[in-house]
This record gives sequence, C-alpha cells and structure tokens, in this order.
Amino acid sequence: MTESHSKHILSIMVDNEPGVLARIVGLFSGRGYNIESLSVSEVDSDKFLSRVTIVTSGTKNIVDQIKAQVRKLIPVHNLIDITELKSFLGKELILMKLDIKQKTVLNIYKYIKNIGAKILFEDKTVIIIEFSGTPTEISSLIKKMKVYNIVELTRSGLVSMALGKDYIRR
Amino acid sequence: MMKKLSGARIVIEALIQENVKVIFGYPGGAVLPIYDELFKQNKIRHILVRHEQAAVHAAEGYARSTGKVGVVLVTSGPGATNTVTGLTDAMMDSVPVVCISGQVPTHMIGNDAFQEADIVGITRPCTKHNYLVKEISKLAESIHSAFHIAKNGRPGPVLVDIPKDIQTFETKYGGKKHTKSVTFYKPNTKPSLDTIVKFVSLLEKSKKPIFYVGGGVINSGSRASLYLKKLLKITGYPCTQTLMGLGATPTSDDQFIGMLGMHGTYEANLSMNKSDLMICIGARFDDRITGKVSGFSPKSKKVHLDIDASSFNKSVNVDLLIQGDLSKILEMTLKHIENKRISFSKEKISAWWNQINKWRAKNCLNYKNSRSIIKPQYALQRLDSLTKHLDPFITTEVGQHQMWAAQFLTFNKPKHWMTSGGLGTMGYGLPAAMGVQIAHPNDLVIDVAGEASILMNIQEMSTIKQYRLPVKIFILNNHYMGMVRQWQELLHGNRLSESYMDSLPDFVKLAESFGATGLRVSKPGEMDDLIKEMIKIKGPVICDVVVDPKENCFPMIPSGSTHDQMLLGPNDKLEGEISEEGMVLV
Ligand SMILES: Cc1ncc(C[n+]2csc(CCOP(=O)(O)OP(=O)(O)O)c2C)c(N)n1
Ligand SMILES: [Mg+2]
Repeated sequence: MTESHSKHILSIMVDNEPGVLARIVGLFSGRGYNIESLSVSEVDSDKFLSRVTIVTSGTKNIVDQIKAQVRKLIPVHNLIDITELKSFLGKELILMKLDIKQKTVLNIYKYIKNIGAKILFEDKTVIIIEFSGTPTEISSLIKKMKVYNIVELTRSGLVSMALGKDYIRR
Repeated sequence: MMKKLSGARIVIEALIQENVKVIFGYPGGAVLPIYDELFKQNKIRHILVRHEQAAVHAAEGYARSTGKVGVVLVTSGPGATNTVTGLTDAMMDSVPVVCISGQVPTHMIGNDAFQEADIVGITRPCTKHNYLVKEISKLAESIHSAFHIAKNGRPGPVLVDIPKDIQTFETKYGGKKHTKSVTFYKPNTKPSLDTIVKFVSLLEKSKKPIFYVGGGVINSGSRASLYLKKLLKITGYPCTQTLMGLGATPTSDDQFIGMLGMHGTYEANLSMNKSDLMICIGARFDDRITGKVSGFSPKSKKVHLDIDASSFNKSVNVDLLIQGDLSKILEMTLKHIENKRISFSKEKISAWWNQINKWRAKNCLNYKNSRSIIKPQYALQRLDSLTKHLDPFITTEVGQHQMWAAQFLTFNKPKHWMTSGGLGTMGYGLPAAMGVQIAHPNDLVIDVAGEASILMNIQEMSTIKQYRLPVKIFILNNHYMGMVRQWQELLHGNRLSESYMDSLPDFVKLAESFGATGLRVSKPGEMDDLIKEMIKIKGPVICDVVVDPKENCFPMIPSGSTHDQMLLGPNDKLEGEISEEGMVLV
C-alpha cells in the first residue's frame, strides 16, 4: 500500500502565549509527523495572535489527521491548508554571507542586481546578501553561490498567503 | 467595594463556583496556602489519598460514575509528577479531570529549585490542556477555563499549575459570571441535517447492520443512552459495545451480542467482520477492536458518529462521518425517522439475525467448570447473579480478571463500569472505587482485581479506612500476572519470565491490619456464601478468591490477526506462526 505523499502548507492562527509553539511542535514529534519548515511570529499585537506556517507532507489520511489534531489544541483559533486553496503564494527570506576574497568567474554584483537581491553589509572580506523568493528560487540561488565560499546562511522558512478573497479568519 | 482575596482563597472560591463538592489530594510545601484555605471552609470536602496517582484515579472514578468533573490537588515536584499516569489514563479514556498543582514561586521557576518540576512541560502531551498561572490576574480565568475545557467537547484532563507566590498575592474576584474566560474553546456539537438524512438512508438499506457502540455515548450523557436504546428498538439491529462502552445500553438486552475486540465474543467480532453496515457511535477503531486493519470488516459501509474530528479516518476509513454531540445526532436521527415515517422491516434482517444466532450458539464464553477449583469465570458469574439486582458500580484493575469481568458481568446502566481501557493501568481499580464510593456512599462498589494489580495502589487501604469507605475488593487470585502468562504461553514458548507472583501478602491479614474484613475462599461450593457475606458486611472487604492459576481468557484474537482468526479455547491452536508484524504489537 503506497499512497502518494504530498506537500501541504498549513497556516495556523494561535494565541501568542508561552508554550503554544511547544504544543504544536510536540504534537508533530509525538505523533511522528514531518515538519519541513516552520515559521512563526506575532501578527496581531492587540489580540495577541501569532501566525504559524508549517510545511509538512504525508498521505491524505495523515495530513487530515494532522489538521484535526492541530485544530484540537486549545490555543489554536484557526487552521487553513493553503495548498488546498485555488491559488496562493509562498515566500521565504534568506540571508547569506559570502567570502569574496578570491576572484571568481561570476560577476557577483551584477548577478545580485539581476535577481533582485540586496546587499546588506559589505567589507573587504565578506558581503551579506538578502533575498526573498520561492523555495525553488532560494535553492537555485544557493546552488549558484556555491562557487563562492558561503561562510554561512540562514533561511526564514516559508510564509504563505492565499490570493483573492480566501483568508485565514482571526 | 469588592474585597481583595489571596490567590489561595480564589482557588477555593472558584472551585465552589464550579460546584465542586469533593477534591482528592495530598499536601506539600508548594500548596500550603491552598490547604490553609481548605481548612477554613466547609463547602468542599478534601479526601486525603496516600499517593497522588491514586488521587487522579479516584477523581476519574468520581467523574465517570457521576458525569461531573473530578478534582485533584497536589504539591509541586514529586506530587505533580506522581499524577502523570493518572492524567494519561484520563486523557486516553476521555475523563473530565481538573488537576491543580502547586509550583515553586515564579521568580524561582527555571532555577532547578527544590521540588521544582516542569509539570506543564511534562504533561503537555497527556492533558487536554494545561496552564501555568504566572499572574494573579489570570488565576480565576485559568481555573474556570480548565473546567470548561475538561467537560466540553471530548472530555479530558486539564492541569493548572499555580506557583506559591501567586497563591499569596491578592486580587479581586467577582465570581465566575464576572470572570472572562481565557479560552474561546467551543467545539462543534451540532451535526448537519443532510448527513443525518444520508445516515438514515444507509440504515434503511442495510441487510447486515451492526451498531458498534463506545464510551462516547456514556460521556455524552444519559439522553444519548436513551436515544440509542430507542434507535435500537426501532431498527431491531444488533449491537456490540467496546470495553469503554459497556452499559451505554443494557447488556442484558437481547439485541446486545457481547463486547467486541481482542477478547470480545465470537458473534460480536464475526458480525463486525461480515456486516454490510457498521454504525460506530462514540468509539475510535482502536487496535484492540480492529485487529489487523487490512482485514477489518472488509465489506461494510462504515458510518462514524463522534464529537472528536480527529477520531475520523484515523486508522479505518469510513464512508460517512457525522461530527457532533452524540445525543444531538441521535435525537435528530430519531426525529428524522419519525417525521418521514420510516419503518424498519424485521424481515429484511431476519437472515442476518439467523446467522448471528448461529454464531451465538457457539457459546464462545463457555468454559470447563470444576468442582474442586474455582474458575475465575465462575466466580464472576456468581458475583453477577448475586449482585445484579443491586446495580453495583464495578471498577477493575488490568489483566485477565478485567476481561472476564467485561465478559461475565451485566451492565444495565451507564456510568456503572469504570475500567482503564486506553492506557490499561494496573492499580486503577482500587482508587477509582474510592472515588465512586465517595460519590455514591450508599451503593455497592466492587473492585474486581488481580492479585498483582491490587498491590500497585494497595496503600489506599489506609484512605479507605480513614473515610470508612465500604469498598469491596474482589481479588481473583491466580498467583500470576495472568494476562502476561497467557501471552507468554501463546507467543513465547511458554517461558514464564517473571510473571509468577511470589511472596504475596496474606490478603486476609492485610485487610485486617487496615480495619477491613478479609475473606478467603478456594472451593467452588463456598463461592456463594462468600459473596453474600461480602455484601452483608457494612465496611470495606477484601475477598481473596483463590482461583485456577492456569485459566486463560478466551475468545482471543492474537495481535495482528483478523476477526475471523479467533482462538475460542485452550484447544484452539494458532494457525501457523504469528506473523512478525503481529509479534511486535502489544
Ligand atoms: C502499570 C502497569 N504495568 C504493567 C502492565 C502490563 N500488564 C498487563 S496485565 C498484567 C498482569 C496483571 O496481573 P493481575 O493483576 O494478577 O491480573 P490477572 O491477569 O492475573 O487477572 C501486566 C503486568 C500494566 N498493564 N500496567
Ligand atoms: Mg493474577
């Protein structure tokens, strides 16, 4: 029995209270679900609401079970499966520190400008660039930059939103 | 002007507002202010248990036999960690419990202070929800929310951890009405009408239906039981119940075909296997019920009625699911049947009943009785016959005796059967019986026990003595962890590794040392007299019923097998080896 696994982006509105992330993450680890990416931050400081975006994958049954379990958590107000909506967009932010001491084939400044990345910091040895894009764009940027010595990088995890009138209720 | 109250006082006032009459607890440094307030009032009775695990089981027994929330009060650190088994038990069996624990003062949290344990972290996965109250302003809200969460939707345990400084700080408390809840928790309890219509049309079409009834019906309340009874009557369909569901409708009813699952009846399991429509009401297709999932009732359409959406399609996919409070779903179903004047022909299902009656005729619970040695089944049959008219409350420990009790006792009312189903906690029955007895002081409460399990919370004899609880402990003493021995015989070449119960106490003397009566019986002919005497005695009794040490519990569906691969008795051999897949299952 091999059922197809598919990727799902879950957008979850939660009370911004201590332990809420532990509840969600604990639920995933305790029940053996995948977390491919996770991002969380407060989005409504009056109502103390945070929005969590989790990218997970599994068979339909498993993903349905994940959604039902997460919805049962008391501080969870609402959960939508963005991937089930007609259209949506997803973006991720990357910060990347490059070693620019050695000369290389690529004209880095031109490339950065072309893809719409920003230089946040620069000195004689390193530059830090910022770029936001789809996970695929980010991955291809990382690939491209492998010719440099990538000193370090960090990614924000995916954040996502439905197009049109679909929205996550508070 | 509203007066300011201490946090400890607010705890007590909030409990009073929640209509709490009894709490089960054990004091310690981090809850002394609350115990001080308890001392100063007389609206709430405190029952001092002898171990915090027992406090939770007692609260569970209280809750399950009344439908109210059971309340526990314990200190920080070891007091709190001792509740973990009880909380997990309540979580698995959906029992509404509120556990209040003391905590080290807020400024010490995280410092590895004396008797500090991160109980909110520890119990996150084994409670429905929990709170660490870090501000006095949140105290009353947290307690009222805890009660709201514990009893609404699918019930469960909620823990409220209260640091000691919060207990001494002061604030105003305007009562429950004037306290805003910290939770917006509002589970969906209303089913949609179109699913009800679909449900009834499936009911109409079926030729081989089976009602598969779980503890959800009991949790939903007595109206749910009433409506289900009506629906059974109108349809004439057969009904089986899970371990948790026993008594949801009377088990003496002719349409009841026995418990199902691993130790369920032949007729119940085969009816499940061969049915064309399975109506699951408040049960969850647990692995003890389904056996090997791929062979579980392969040809049936399945309908699942439950309040908890996460129970749907978890292990078995169903064709129609209806989310809501079961009493509402059943009420709407009956209304729809009535409005549309739908009738159910007995003829359509007569072939099905004939088949079921053939399976019934196997008499699968039959056993070979003896004149010289007490068979545990016989002991329970006699217990049933001689106590049935009293509608006793039965609790159990965990093991063979538990399964035999489920098979051989009659449950004609809901909330009279308290057993640890999901977690299978040895040591549950005695403290649970205390909680039941506190709630029903004049009723007969019996803990059907094994000699191994009873030792796991035997310290509660002291509580029983203190509060003069006339709990009857009916030990089926087979000198073995019988259920373990049975699996070792069946699956591990009869190597009885560590399952013999050596060095048992003299249960009669043990009873006497706690001011209870101890009775022992070892001959079948003396069984009735023992039971009659046990009922007659006003105080607590331990009956040491010395039974056949070799008896095994049948029918049995070995793990990883399907419903039609049932072992009916000691002479039934497994067909071939148990699969590797089955061997790793518990
Ligand atoms: C706390 C706990 N530990 C271990 C087990 C595993 N276990 C299940 S049944 C059983 C034996 C119970 O023996 P006894 O109480 O004498 O009951 P019997 O099966 O003999 O009727 C054991 C050890 C358990 N269910 N709970
Ligand atoms: Mg035993």
